[in-house]
Amino acid sequence: MNKGDISVFEVPGSGAHTTEGADPVVTELIRNSLISAADQMKRALIRTSFSPIVYEAMDFAVVLYDKDIRLLSQAPTLPTFMGTMNFCVEAAVKGAGGPGNMEPGDIVLYNWPYNTGSHAQDAAVVMPVFLDDGELVGYAACKAHWMDIAAKAPYCTDTTDIFQEGVFFPGIKIYRRGEINEDILAMIKANSRMPDDVVGDLNAQVACCRVGGRELVRVINRFGKEVFDASIELMFNHAEQTTRACIEKIPDGRYKARSGLDNSGVDDVKIDFDLEVEISGSIVTVDLTDAPDALPGPMNCPLPTAVCFARVIIGALTDTLYFTNEGHFRPIRVKTRKGSLYHPLPPTPCFMFGWAAMPILEGTIRALGEALPELVPAGSGADIMALIWWGNREATGEPWAAGSWNPVGQGGSVHDDGSTAIHVALAFSRQGSMELWESKCPWLIESYELAPDSGGAGAHSGGCGVDLEWRILEDCAITSTIEQTRHEPFGLDGGLPGRSNRAEMLCADGTVEPFSKVTDLKVSKYSVVRLMSGGGGGHGDPAERDPEKVHADLKAGYISEPFARRHYPHAFAS
Amino acid sequence: MATRIGVDIGGTFTDLLLYDDIEKTVNACKVLTTPHSPDEGCITAVKTGVPPEKLAQADYFMHGTTVGLNALLQRKGAVVGLLTTTGFRDVLELRRGDRSHQNLLFWRRPEPLVPRHLRLPVRGRIYTNGGVYKPLAGEDVLAGLDVFRQEGVTSIAVVFMNAYANPEHELEAERLLREAGFEGGISLSHRVSGEYREYERTTTSVVDAFVRGVMSEYFGRLDRRLRELGFKGTSLITRSGGGSMTFDEASERPFETIMSGPVAGVSGTAELANKLKLNGVVCADVGGTSFDTSLVVGGRAELLYEGEIVGMPLQVPWVDVRSVGAGGGSIGYNDHGLLRVGPESAGAVPGPACYGRGGTRATSTDAAFYLGMLGAGEFESGLTLDRDLATRALQDLADELGISIDEAAQGVMRISTSAMADAVREITVERGIDPAGLALMCYGGAGPLWSCLLALDLEISTIVVPPYAGTFSAWGLLGADPTGTRARTRLLELDEGGIQEANEVAGELFADMAEQQDRQVAGSLPMRKEIALDIRFVGQEHSLTVTVPSGQGVITATPGEILALFLEKYRDAFGGALDIAVQVVSIRATAQQPLPARDDAVGLHTGTPAPRSACEAYSFTRDRYMSFAVIAQRDIDAGETIHGPAIINELTSTTYVDAGFRLEMDASGSMFICTTEGT
Repeated sequence: MNKGDISVFEVPGSGAHTTEGADPVVTELIRNSLISAADQMKRALIRTSFSPIVYEAMDFAVVLYDKDIRLLSQAPTLPTFMGTMNFCVEAAVKGAGGPGNMEPGDIVLYNWPYNTGSHAQDAAVVMPVFLDDGELVGYAACKAHWMDIAAKAPYCTDTTDIFQEGVFFPGIKIYRRGEINEDILAMIKANSRMPDDVVGDLNAQVACCRVGGRELVRVINRFGKEVFDASIELMFNHAEQTTRACIEKIPDGRYKARSGLDNSGVDDVKIDFDLEVEISGSIVTVDLTDAPDALPGPMNCPLPTAVCFARVIIGALTDTLYFTNEGHFRPIRVKTRKGSLYHPLPPTPCFMFGWAAMPILEGTIRALGEALPELVPAGSGADIMALIWWGNREATGEPWAAGSWNPVGQGGSVHDDGSTAIHVALAFSRQGSMELWESKCPWLIESYELAPDSGGAGAHSGGCGVDLEWRILEDCAITSTIEQTRHEPFGLDGGLPGRSNRAEMLCADGTVEPFSKVTDLKVSKYSVVRLMSGGGGGHGDPAERDPEKVHADLKAGYISEPFARRHYPHAFAS
Repeated sequence: MATRIGVDIGGTFTDLLLYDDIEKTVNACKVLTTPHSPDEGCITAVKTGVPPEKLAQADYFMHGTTVGLNALLQRKGAVVGLLTTTGFRDVLELRRGDRSHQNLLFWRRPEPLVPRHLRLPVRGRIYTNGGVYKPLAGEDVLAGLDVFRQEGVTSIAVVFMNAYANPEHELEAERLLREAGFEGGISLSHRVSGEYREYERTTTSVVDAFVRGVMSEYFGRLDRRLRELGFKGTSLITRSGGGSMTFDEASERPFETIMSGPVAGVSGTAELANKLKLNGVVCADVGGTSFDTSLVVGGRAELLYEGEIVGMPLQVPWVDVRSVGAGGGSIGYNDHGLLRVGPESAGAVPGPACYGRGGTRATSTDAAFYLGMLGAGEFESGLTLDRDLATRALQDLADELGISIDEAAQGVMRISTSAMADAVREITVERGIDPAGLALMCYGGAGPLWSCLLALDLEISTIVVPPYAGTFSAWGLLGADPTGTRARTRLLELDEGGIQEANEVAGELFADMAEQQDRQVAGSLPMRKEIALDIRFVGQEHSLTVTVPSGQGVITATPGEILALFLEKYRDAFGGALDIAVQVVSIRATAQQPLPARDDAVGLHTGTPAPRSACEAYSFTRDRYMSFAVIAQRDIDAGETIHGPAIINELTSTTYVDAGFRLEMDASGSMFICTTEGT
């Protein structure tokens, strides 16, 4: 690739827009109302959706944009979806003929991965919002994970081009002036393994956008269009200033760290690259140009999600992740190389986009942390450790399926020890109940416990990961998306790394078969599937750990005596 | 005859209401809460507000308290040891793996109530179907007890996997612990909850073990002191899911009463909604630090079957009350040029600046007072507000923001109103209800102050300010019928056989309650039994709770009728239904012993009429200062209409009736306030 292929993404500043007529009270009222509007969209979607992945795992985004596609508000859902929708709203509107071709009652469907940032299953519904006099004032949009839209398998870790990953909707009006297009609906149903769920969730997305549109109109009417316009400019400027003020506190410099992935999903080549973060005054640039060319398997991350992950980690650093609006993004630049892992072009496969994006978070934290260890915690298991199970019950032949995502240990920080296993920072999902699982699936859970010695040693130690063991009572199959088995959760400032993620199957004949990313792994009756999630990295020199804490950890069994004596000999000096 | 005393202990004040069924009067009394020993304040209130002869006549003492909640908040309870199934030692610590929205980078899960060295594994395993996979290793129980003794454990929780399906290992562990001489409390998970989900059952059992000692001691002490003062009736405490239970029962199942405070107001609203024939009501309970809201639809409070307290889930019925940090003490501040209000509150100490107790930051109360919404700021309770202090605090805020002091004061009120209104939208939209069609019930010390502002924001046309609005939670207490509930998870087909098995389970649950509710509460009416089933579509995790027709504690409905009820509820909740089979997940039994009804129109004790006066106050609907009539609530006759602008004073609250609103005094003592100009 030559230099001409470098792309720098940033959103424009306030430009010629004026805040004339905005005041600190009305602006705050409008900001609250817009947050509430997005929250109402979220609740409407949860209330009417069909799939647990929507109403339990919160695998969706709901947003309001103004007519220039600037983010007005977004409800907190999966952090991976925070601030990712501008590309997709713009492309959806363009696909459907541009803003001039939008009419009241229109609803556009869009899921082309290079603009949604996601895989085909993450389908966006975009609704133009009009005032009573017909003026286009913005867009309500909702992207949600559909259970199935015709990929080669229900979940894929081994695709080699985009057309194996699903059916695509490039910005088509599923509603035209309030009338549904039944032809499109029939086509969606014909292309899904779970048509009822998908149509149910699509209807929920439409209902959600209508709530958002109604609320946006209500807010504008309440305060008047001119006051509203001026106030959102002040709201954006205010958000920009709060983010800039936080970035300014970080010393200027170029910070670099190694980051990577296990492999592409279709070969066994380990991926490593440097990620660079540049702080310059109140501007931050995340540079992903050292990432390799797009991979042959589905571990590629389209630009919108690369930008989104940069926004998420900067949002986390500046404590502005939730209740974001356009202004928060103004000081953030993302540099990518077209055709690379973080800027793949059609028809590059990208089903595992979220996993591919994970190094942006860990890499940014590590890059800053190695120079400024007080700013961030050490590394974590950095994966959701997900297994997707399915089979047919022995007694009845009925199909069953289950998904499990599992927690990882968190890194220590200058403030404290890392938390013992919780879900990776990107997931709001909740661990399933073991008793509930056993009542639904042919499983006996042998153990779900913290793994002693799995957290990295340090003045502030990393939190333990978990060991989870399923005894499988009937034949079934697994697709595993487990990543980060070849990179240790990093320590900072002299702290040691935690253990890496790992998984294996103990077959009934006594053989042990390790696995990580795999599609359709057959599991025979009475095998044991064992998942060992990563521990957090340690922070600070282990020699500086308070001996009392060492003995407390030993007593609680977070660490073993040999581990304690090896890493904390000072605690045993008489 | 059922004279009763209600005492609600809040964060700042302890409120008492005496309902005298002989003279048909109600008397209120407010004293300061005594956090170090809440029964002190309670006894003071009784001594102050109840003459000895009335105390001797009283049939019921009805109580709401935060003793259990405080024990959890301050982590001052028993030293608990937890016996778990081998392989599941960390269920309590791992929680559900979820994390808070705040602070993505540095968030740590909260410290578990039982540290890891006191969570000890016991070998033995029950299958999901209740079969025994591995026998219980009794030696592990005894080894655990040895450790607990060394560590000073005073209370033991036993939570084994799938105990809801077969309790024999838990019962065996209890037997071994007692045989070995352990005399402290033992909380067996299947007795505490009976439902599946090991994490939730563990936290419920551990909370039970943690607060039981503290609470039973408190109940015993309070009951003894009441009897020393001459009380001869029955002492009852409100439950988190509505209704009440005797002190004896509560000592056995204290976790059922953890959230007794805010619930009483909602119960009172439900009772009043029935009387006033209001089909849908939003509760707006505004105190010093928080705005608590909930829904009463069809005369019933919205009930959840899992509560959460201090981040810990409890498998217990729970009235769905949501709180946001907006109230009379909420502080206004400058955030990079925008005005923000709350959730930080000035609390009781130092309190709003105008209280003159050292507060210097502008609060909602300062703003309301500055705008004239609280009249002259001289209250019947004796408190007098200081205008200079309020003005000074607001001036500082206004200067920082570069706006006028009036704009700052109005802004504080409007922004706090908007936070409250958003909380109401949250609970209504998620149920598909439009708040504009509901009535707004405003109570708590500051509820009536915000009533018109909230109605305007929510486009609600009917406001109700109940009698005793400032002490309405205590009023709600007075109507809390003794209630018991039990639940058990049992996966069943929804067919004749399934219903038969559900009836067997319900029979066992009622029998278990009868054992603890050993005697009928004195003076109560015949017991009412109710059965509800948790039902879900096969393959889904979420279930809905459906109350099914029953008689004498036996389900009388057919499978088809129950399915229809479920589908109707599912459509209401989710907008559509699925065409797949359903199954029963859990059986819930409720037994209620209704107390005799109270009379409706019992007004507050009235004194001499106060002269009606007027004051200048800011009108939000007119956007200017105008003359507001100032009227004492007790002087308004039933049926009388008062046109806003007006300020209505009562002992414990102030109602702000803006221009464009009309107030009518109902015969029941409730004030109906309606817009006269549409919304």
